[in-house]
Amino acid sequence: MSDLLLRQRAHARPAEAPAEPAVLVPPRAAHAVRRAGRLAVAVGLRSVAVVAFLLLWEVAPRIGLVDPVFLPPLSEVLATTRDLAASGQLGEHVRASLVRAGSGFGIAVVAAIPLGLLIGWYRTVSTVLSPILEAFRNTAALALLPVFVLVLGIGETSKIALVAFASFFPILLNTISGVRTVDPLLVRSARSLGLSPLRLFQKVILPSAVPTIFTGLRMAGAASVLVLVAAEMIGAQAGLGYLINAAQLNFQIPEMYAGILTISVIGIVVNYVLLAAERRFSRWRA
Amino acid sequence: MSQPKLRLREVRKEFAHRGDTFVALADATLDVRPGELLAVVGPSGCGKSTLLDLLGGLTTPSSGEILLDGRPVTGPGLDRGIVFQQYALLPWRTAQGNVELGLEAKGLPRAERRETARRFLDLVGLGGFADRYPHELSGGMKQRVAIARSLAFEPDVLLMDEPFAALDAQTRESLQDELLRIWRATGATIVFITHGIDEAVYLGQRVAVMTSRPGRIKAVVDVDLDVSAPDVRSTDAFGAYRHRIWSLLQDEVVRAQQHELAPREDLAHV
Ligand SMILES: Nc1ncnc2c1ncn2[C@@H]1O[C@H](COP(=O)(O)OP(=O)(O)OP(=O)(O)O)[C@@H](O)[C@H]1O
Ligand SMILES: [Mg+2]
Repeated sequence: MSDLLLRQRAHARPAEAPAEPAVLVPPRAAHAVRRAGRLAVAVGLRSVAVVAFLLLWEVAPRIGLVDPVFLPPLSEVLATTRDLAASGQLGEHVRASLVRAGSGFGIAVVAAIPLGLLIGWYRTVSTVLSPILEAFRNTAALALLPVFVLVLGIGETSKIALVAFASFFPILLNTISGVRTVDPLLVRSARSLGLSPLRLFQKVILPSAVPTIFTGLRMAGAASVLVLVAAEMIGAQAGLGYLINAAQLNFQIPEMYAGILTISVIGIVVNYVLLAAERRFSRWRA
Repeated sequence: MSQPKLRLREVRKEFAHRGDTFVALADATLDVRPGELLAVVGPSGCGKSTLLDLLGGLTTPSSGEILLDGRPVTGPGLDRGIVFQQYALLPWRTAQGNVELGLEAKGLPRAERRETARRFLDLVGLGGFADRYPHELSGGMKQRVAIARSLAFEPDVLLMDEPFAALDAQTRESLQDELLRIWRATGATIVFITHGIDEAVYLGQRVAVMTSRPGRIKAVVDVDLDVSAPDVRSTDAFGAYRHRIWSLLQDEVVRAQQHELAPREDLAHV
């Protein structure tokens, strides 16, 4: 899983975007898509694929390429989203999910960064902790969901713990590698100034590891949303995962897509915020 | 003569090498006079950087002793500044921030750091580039920042490890002149390591010639040249010094090559 997340580029669509039935586009639709594409080029090449996709979403159900019952046109989903938002329901679910994801993510940050710094810097700590961390790292977070529920109950705690667990490793591993890949010459040069180990850490190791740590934070951000939605689908009374699952069970298909769309948007926003923070902290990079 | 600024007495440095020991520096004995600019030349791999690390206190000798003002060197300190070959600037700090690093180590208050850093950036001719990050500077400018950084905390001794080796000839020559100017202006003692004979003759009041494998100080040549004379590098006197050092090095270069072809022989010296 983390491999997949690693490859996921900064602006790539989150993996949980609605699954598109693979269909060949007939000439008429292709023409529409091309026209839309040309329009988008003017706006910016970056939005071409997104716009094309959204357009396909709108057009495909309308022209009968897919069953509109199972995939309602985008406009219908957007209208439902608006209604859900207006009634305050959507806000409720978003808030529930964000609180869980944020708490879990926060716990992971607070635990993983200091631990990663220690493991990266002290060989002994690394030797002692690596085997156990390796074992946990290779245990898929969702596989532990039943354990978390069993031990921590069905409430908030188990969900937050699961998010914390899933976010922990991307942050930890990237922090470790950030510390380990510090240019030894910089360390030597700082040592030659007689900097104490603590100062050396503060002035050289940490700033040098920041960009790598941020990569970990972004991966963890994506991971936290991912496992949270899954956890909410299994046992929750609120949250976007719950909304999606409940809507599907009640055959409220537009509501289901509204939930999915909201998660995509949240994923993009989270990634964007972390990316902005990363830029803010690594303005010095070429 | 007054007490030497730096004194090396039979300094030996060994490295563990696949279960064996490898002698990088053997019985290096050398005095560096206060306020002099001593150039050290030697073939590649003869232990020049090893020597500099020892002087800087980044490593400790296997045997022998290194004295700074008569006191043994026990570790790095702000009484010595090192300029590394690869600049070693912190990429996340501006030129100004990099120069301030040593001043932070020294514990100067912020305002004083700013002012001092500016002064030394001016000294190396980079007054207008204080806000630039290293990736926005040319190689020569980076090295100037590194020099300013080492000068700013006003060490007694400046240790320089082939600082101009990565630069083009023109930049190198202008930085050499700048270094001489700074040296005269600050009165610092400078140990300047190079593999360039011309550079050693041009900069050094004295030139220490090193032998290879194991590294030793083979000879110290006094250089008495007025380098402010126009095109001094083309004069006969300069040529004579160059030839003398070249001859001292020649057998060393040949020996080093022989060793490179049969690396296991290194261990035979132990
Ligand atoms: N940490 C180390 N461990 C083992 N061997 C080392 C170490 N540092 C240096 N050596 C060896 O000591 C010898 C001298 O190295 P040193 O870097 O001092 O050479 P140098 O004269 O600076 O060479 P150059 O001109 O190429 O920079 C080399 O043969 C090198 O392989
Ligand atoms: Mg060297």
